Amino acid sequence: MQHLLDTLASGVHDAKNQLFAAEAIITRAETEHGIGLGEARYAIEAAANRLSRALVAYRLLREGAMLAVTPAIVGDICDEVMLTQKNHLAIKGIRLDVHCDVLDEWPLDRDLVTDMLNNAVQNAGRFARSAVHLQATINDGDLLLTVADDGPGFATLPPAMGTGLIVAERLAKLHTRHGRHGELRLDNGSPSGGARFALRLP
Amino acid sequence: MSDYSKKRFLVIDDQPQARDALRTIAQTIGAFAVEFASNYQDAIYRIRNNSPDIILCDYMLGEGRSGQQLLEELRRFNLLPDESIFMMVTGEQSYEQVVSAVELVPDDYIIKPFSPDKLVLRLDRIVARKNFFAGYYREKRKQEYDKALAILAAQRDSEAGRPYRFEILRQQAEVLLASGDAKSSEAAYRNILENYDFPWARAGVARTLHKQNRLTEARQEIDRVVAGTPHYFDASDLKANICMAQGEHAEAQKVLDEVAKKTPRNFMRKRLLAEAATLNGDTETARTAMAEVIANDNMPGAISPADRLGMARSHVNAGDKISAEKVLLSMRDSEVQGMDLAAQGSFAALLAICSPERGKAKFVGLRPALLASELDTAARIDIMRAALAIADHPLADRQTAQLMLDVDAKKVFGTIRTQYALHGRENDFREIQKQVALKRIHHEETPTGST
Repeated sequence: MQHLLDTLASGVHDAKNQLFAAEAIITRAETEHGIGLGEARYAIEAAANRLSRALVAYRLLREGAMLAVTPAIVGDICDEVMLTQKNHLAIKGIRLDVHCDVLDEWPLDRDLVTDMLNNAVQNAGRFARSAVHLQATINDGDLLLTVADDGPGFATLPPAMGTGLIVAERLAKLHTRHGRHGELRLDNGSPSGGARFALRLP
Repeated sequence: MSDYSKKRFLVIDDQPQARDALRTIAQTIGAFAVEFASNYQDAIYRIRNNSPDIILCDYMLGEGRSGQQLLEELRRFNLLPDESIFMMVTGEQSYEQVVSAVELVPDDYIIKPFSPDKLVLRLDRIVARKNFFAGYYREKRKQEYDKALAILAAQRDSEAGRPYRFEILRQQAEVLLASGDAKSSEAAYRNILENYDFPWARAGVARTLHKQNRLTEARQEIDRVVAGTPHYFDASDLKANICMAQGEHAEAQKVLDEVAKKTPRNFMRKRLLAEAATLNGDTETARTAMAEVIANDNMPGAISPADRLGMARSHVNAGDKISAEKVLLSMRDSEVQGMDLAAQGSFAALLAICSPERGKAKFVGLRPALLASELDTAARIDIMRAALAIADHPLADRQTAQLMLDVDAKKVFGTIRTQYALHGRENDFREIQKQVALKRIHHEETPTGST
């Protein structure tokens, strides 16, 4: 099993290097010709994230993955999600609002949490009418990260969970501190009437 | 956004395509000067000659080297000022696992592919953090530890310090340990652990316990870290050091054997393996490891006189006096003259052991100085052996008594006993042990190894 995982990981690694080369070529073309190819870069980064996510899912479901927890600045994570998603949403006429009230560092798996939020914002963007709202607050001593939209909301509750959501839920639970576990909740509690993704980390 | 147009960038990557990509990104964010290094040696050479402001280093450097190893080596040779930015670039998710465990981390890492905007966002953050800690870095570099700690204490309670809470605690723990206050450093690490069980913080606790000679507790903590994060190799090194201090040389060697296989180009670890194997009586492993270090650690200045003495020592242990003598005589006179008294004592002692006609006179000449001075453990053992060989009992017994009083007593007990037995002086050794024990009882209120 370890051998198969290594093969997959090395394949993903090579693919991401190729994608990085492609992104650099696009970047050069943008500078040389003064054109904006943000959507091409967005597609490349989305493809790379998709590959990483598949690998994380495989590792988690087959072997029980370990988190890599570091102290992370929550505002920085929000800024990065904003940077990655804002222009892409704007093209579809959807606004991304970010509110972060959390000043302190928080121990969490930065890459996985950033990816979960990126994925949640991307999903919300598909159903939103005009805006997606990403918020970070402290709630009952936990870090609460929510992504809410003003779309029609989930048709059924709880919503049908695909592999992606099952993995996200497991990753949330793996975050433990002082004997408490993280959790992921999906409901229609968005203040603007749509669906809400709420990630709670102890 | 900070101004990157006046910054000097160094891109380190063994793949030409990836190097070009990194250059394009660096130029897009305004970098004026971008240099390249295509391998490990080249990177060290360039950084040593003209330290860049910002280093973008790929994690996989080829030839069995990693960017992490480069980072560790730069810190080891003090080539990386706190003000320089070291950014690891990686396509591997697994690097995140490394960063979350180890004590020695880059300023940040970034996963490929990434846009110029994202790199700027990350670099801006690092610049902000370095500005925040600038005053602290200055005092730390001057080794003004009290002033450095005062700055950290003020920052810890400030509003601006809130995003850097863990970093401040971590720096406090490190400076306290560097200043010799292992007990307060332990408290600082425990303070971090209360918040979250980071492997590097628990390893920090083990390190501070080791410094306080609280070996059983240190061992418990480090065992936990090694079991939980087997890819955290520095923790294995620390575990081996603690095992040696406990006199458990076989376990120390076993731990190092395992990690040294996974990191064949890490020569600091090879040196440690040689030390453990020597104490464990595995002279062949020690000899092989030291020979590899001397043949392959090709950083300028990496092979120290201590390494050559170590090589000669391992030949002596293996009974190969001819090879030992060859190593010693290959050292230039100027090199030997430049060594401190302890190393000169080792040199003369080892030479006297392998070639009395060449070494004895020098050894005897140093005798008064050796009797009168504080020496390190390795030198005391060499001197004890040479003194036994030339039947200078007072000199040998004085070294032995000092070694048995020292914090390293458990570490070297087996080695000393073997040497005395070789010369038919087991009873004398037991007598010295008894004297030392009596002395200990007299000085009960000041135990050895206090901090």
